[in-house]
Amino acid sequence: MYNIATLVVGLIQVLVMLALAPLLTGIIRKTKARTQKRIGASILQPYYDLLKLVQKDEVVSDQTSWIFRACPWVNFAAMATAAFFIPVFLVYTPFGLVGDLLLVIGLFALGRFFTMLAGLDVASSFGGLGSSREMMISALLEPALFLSIFVVAITYGGTNLSTTIEASSISSFLPHPQIIFAAIGLFIIILGETGRLPFDNPATHLELTMVHETMILEYSGKSLALMEWSQSIKQIILFTLMVNIFVPWGISSSILLPSLAVGFFMFAGKISLFGIFVAFLESSVAKWRLFRIPDLIAIAIATSMIGIVLCYL
Amino acid sequence: MTDSFTLFQAAILLYVAGAILGLLSRNTSLTRTITFLPPTVASVLLVIFSSSIIISGKSFQFVAPGTLSFFNFEILVDGISAFFILIIGIVSFAVSLYSIGYSKEYEIKKRTSALVFLFNIFILSMVLVVASNNAFFFLVFWELMSLTSFFLVIYDHDKEENLKSGMTYLVMTHLGTTFIFASFLLGYIQTGSFSFDSFRHGSAGFPLLVKNLVFVFAFIGFGTKAGMVPLHVWLPKAHPSAPSNVSALMSAVMIKIGIYGMIRTIFDFSGFGASPDFAWWGMLLIVFGSASAIVGVLYAVVERDIKRALAFSSIENIGIILVGLGLSIVFTSFQLTAFAVLALVASMYHAINHAFFKGLLFMGAGSVVSVTHTKNIEHLGGLVKQMPWTSLLFLIGAISISGLPPFNGFISEWFTMQSLLSSYHIPSTILQISIAFASLPFALTIGIAAATFVKLFAMTFLSKARSKHAINIKEVSRSMILGMSILAAACVLFGVVPYLGTSLISTAFHLSSQPSSPFDSISIQNNSGKSFANLSMPVVVIIISSVSVAIFGFIRVLGGDTKKTTYGTWDCGFGGLNERMEYTPTSLSQPMRAVFKVFFKPHNQTEKESFGENPYLLKSIKIETVIKNIFEETFYAPIISSFVFFFDKVRRLQTGKINAYLLYIMITLVLLLLFVRLSNNV
Repeated sequence: MYNIATLVVGLIQVLVMLALAPLLTGIIRKTKARTQKRIGASILQPYYDLLKLVQKDEVVSDQTSWIFRACPWVNFAAMATAAFFIPVFLVYTPFGLVGDLLLVIGLFALGRFFTMLAGLDVASSFGGLGSSREMMISALLEPALFLSIFVVAITYGGTNLSTTIEASSISSFLPHPQIIFAAIGLFIIILGETGRLPFDNPATHLELTMVHETMILEYSGKSLALMEWSQSIKQIILFTLMVNIFVPWGISSSILLPSLAVGFFMFAGKISLFGIFVAFLESSVAKWRLFRIPDLIAIAIATSMIGIVLCYL
Repeated sequence: MTDSFTLFQAAILLYVAGAILGLLSRNTSLTRTITFLPPTVASVLLVIFSSSIIISGKSFQFVAPGTLSFFNFEILVDGISAFFILIIGIVSFAVSLYSIGYSKEYEIKKRTSALVFLFNIFILSMVLVVASNNAFFFLVFWELMSLTSFFLVIYDHDKEENLKSGMTYLVMTHLGTTFIFASFLLGYIQTGSFSFDSFRHGSAGFPLLVKNLVFVFAFIGFGTKAGMVPLHVWLPKAHPSAPSNVSALMSAVMIKIGIYGMIRTIFDFSGFGASPDFAWWGMLLIVFGSASAIVGVLYAVVERDIKRALAFSSIENIGIILVGLGLSIVFTSFQLTAFAVLALVASMYHAINHAFFKGLLFMGAGSVVSVTHTKNIEHLGGLVKQMPWTSLLFLIGAISISGLPPFNGFISEWFTMQSLLSSYHIPSTILQISIAFASLPFALTIGIAAATFVKLFAMTFLSKARSKHAINIKEVSRSMILGMSILAAACVLFGVVPYLGTSLISTAFHLSSQPSSPFDSISIQNNSGKSFANLSMPVVVIIISSVSVAIFGFIRVLGGDTKKTTYGTWDCGFGGLNERMEYTPTSLSQPMRAVFKVFFKPHNQTEKESFGENPYLLKSIKIETVIKNIFEETFYAPIISSFVFFFDKVRRLQTGKINAYLLYIMITLVLLLLFVRLSNNV
C-alpha cells in the first residue's frame, strides 16, 4: 500500500477538502436563501469573500496580544492538519498511520482553545460572551462525541479512519443497529460543532444569539479570511466523516482512475445532498435558548449510550 | 552497583547538607543562591541515578541488617521506584532552580532558613519513601514526608486560613497512614516479617479475603495521599496554602507517591494475579477515578483562586491516572496482557505528564502571585504584555493539561481513551457496559478541563487588568523562568516524541516495548488484525509545521502585502470601553454553574440599597454567588459533628472533682479484678 500513487491520492484528498470547503458553505447558504424565498448569493460567493478579505488591510485592537494574532494561523493549521486523516473518496488514506479520529478531535479542540482565548483577548464583553458560551457547549459536546466514536470504533474495529470506513463500506449497517443510534448522536454533535442551528446561528449578528461570531468579531482582513476558511474546513471534515462512516456508498476502494472518479463524484453528490439537508433543517428550526442546548446534547449522549448497550447485547 | 550506590548516597547527603546549610544561613541573595544549590545538584544526581537503573534494568539493593532489633534498613530501587525517583528528580531540579528566585519574596517577611530546611527534607523523604524496602522504614519516611509537607503548608502561619488548611491536611493524611499501616500489618501477620521482600514472595499464598483487605486498605490509605474523591478534602486547602514552589512539589510529585504506593501494593504485596476474582479491584479504581476526575474538574472550572483551581485540577488528573490503572488491573485479571500494558502505559504516562505540567503551572501561578500579591484571578488580567515569558510558559502548561495536540497531555489522554475503547475485549458484558459508561465522565472531564484552562489563562494573562494588582508589574527573575522552562520543554518533548515516554515506561516496568523508534507510530491492532488506531506525533508535528508554512506563503501570494492598523476594540460606537465591562472569571463560568446546578447548588444573594422610596433608583447593589461544597457538607460535616457530639458526652466524665475520679479508679479496679478472676477460671 505504501507507494507514491497512494501518497499522491492522499494529498489530493487533502487539497480537495481544503478547496471544496468554501463551496460547501456556499451551497448551504444558497439553499437556505432559496428556502426563505430569496435568490441568494452565488454558491461561489465564499470564494469571492475570501479573496476579497486576504487583500484587505487589517485593523487590530490595541488591547490584544500575540495570542490574538497567532490564533487564525493556529486554527487554520489545526483544521488543515485534521484534513490529512480523513478518507474522502478513497477508503484508504496514507496518513491513517499517522493519526486517527481522536487526533482529529484533538486538533479541533486545539483550534477552539485558541479561538476562545482570542475572544477573551480583545477585552470586549462580546468576546467574553462568545467564549463563555463556547466553553459550555464544547465541554458538553466532548463526551457526546466520544461516546458516538465509541460506538463506531467498536462496531467497525478502530478509530483509525481507514479501517473504520473500509469496514463500513463492505458491510451493511443492518446487522449493526447501534450504528443508527451513533449516527443520530453524531449528527446532533456535528450541528453543535459547526455552529449551526439550533445551537448557534451562523448568520446572526445579534449578541443574544451569537456564539462563534462573537469570538471572531474583532478579526478583519487576512485573519478573518483564515478564521472563516478554517471554520469551513472543520465543517466539511465533519460532514465527510458523517457521510463516509454512515453512508459509504460509492467510495473507491482502489486507486484506479475510473473507480476514483466514481468515488469523487459520489462524494461530491453525497456531501452536497447532506449540506442541502442541513440547510433545510436550519430553515425549519429556530435557535434554541442557550440553556436548552444541554438538553439537546443530552439526547445525543443518550442515543450514543443506547448504541453502546446495543453493541454489547 | 557501586556507581549507583555512590550517586544515591551523594544525593542523600546533598539534601541533608542543603537542609543544614539552610538552617545556618542568613537572608541574603547570595545565600539564597547557595542554599538552593545542593538540592539542584542532588536532583541532577537523582535523575542520573534513576535513569541508569531504568536503562540497565538492574535494580539497586542495599540492606543494613540489624539497624534496629526488629527491622532491617532496606533499600530497593527497581524499575518502578526508579521511574518515580526520576519524576521526583526532574521536577525538583526545576523547582529548586525556581526557588532561588522565588524565595526572595519570603526574605522580606520572614527567615527563609526554615523553608530551605523543610524543602530539602521534604524531597529527601519522598525519595526515601519510594526507595524503602521495609514497611517500618517506609512508614517512617512516609510520616516524615507528611510532617514536613504539613509544616510547609503552614509556613505562612500568620494567616489563620492556612493554619486551618494545615489541620485538615494533618488529620486526613494520618487517616490515610492508618489504613496503610493496617494494610502492611496484614502482610506482617501473614508473613511474619516487615520486609517488603517477604510480602513480595509470600503474597501469592494469602487467602483471598486477606488479599482483598490488603488492597482495600492500601486503596483508601494511598488514595487519601493521592487526593482521590471523597478523601480529597485536604488537597484543595493544603496545596494553595503552601508557598508556590512547595505547591508545585506537592501537586506534581507528592500525590504521585500515593499512586506509587498503590501500584507497589497492588502489583507486589497483595497477591494480585491474572484471575477474574480481582476484576472488581480495577472497577473500584475506575469508579473512584472517574468520580475524582469529574468532581475535581467541576470545582476547578468555577474556582477564582488560581492556586486552588490548580489543586482541584490535580484531583482531576489523579482521577485520570486511576482510571488507567484500574483498566490495567481489569485487563490483567482477564489475561488481556497487551491491553493491560496499554492501560498501564496510559496511566504512567499521565502520571509523568501531570508531574511536568502541574509543576509548571504551579510555578507559573507562583510567579503571578509573587508579583501581583493576589491569588484571586478576578483581580488580574492583562499580564501577557508585562510578563511575556511567564505567560508563554503558562500557556504551554495550559495547552498540555487540556490534552491538546501536539503537547504531552494529549498523548496520555489518547492512550487512556484507547484503553477505554479496548474494553470491548473483556469477556463480560456487564463490565464492558460499565466501562463504556465510565468513559462518559472521563470525556466530560477532558472537555471541561479545556474550558478551565481557557478561563485560568485568559483571565490571568489576557484582556485588560481588572484591578491595580495587575498594573505596573515586572517579569519574574531569570532563575524562575529557567525553572519553568525546563518543565515546559519536557511537556513539549514528551508530546512531540511520545517514544521517549513509552520506552521509558516500558523499560522501567519491564513491559513489551511498543514503538521501536521515535518515528514509528504507536499502533493498536483489532481482532481481525487490522489497525485499530495509529498515532505518530513527530509526523503530525511535521504536517502541522509544513501546513503552516504553506498557508503563510499561499495567503501572502494571494493577498499581497497588506497593512495592519492598530485601533481600539469595537465598542459599538459608544466609546469608553473599560475593564468593568469585560467578562470576569465568575461570569465566564456562569453557564457551567447553570448547567451543573444540581452539583453546585449555586445560591445567589442580592442586596439592594435604593435612594428613597423608588426601588429602581439604586444606590448600590451587591450580588453574591455561593456554591456549595457537597462533600464537606454532606459527607464530612455529619462525621465531624457526631465526633464532636460523642466527645462532648465523654467530657461529662471529666467533672474535675476528686471524688468522681476516685470512683472511676475504683470501678476500673473492680472490673479488672473481675476480668482477671474470670479469665483464670478457664
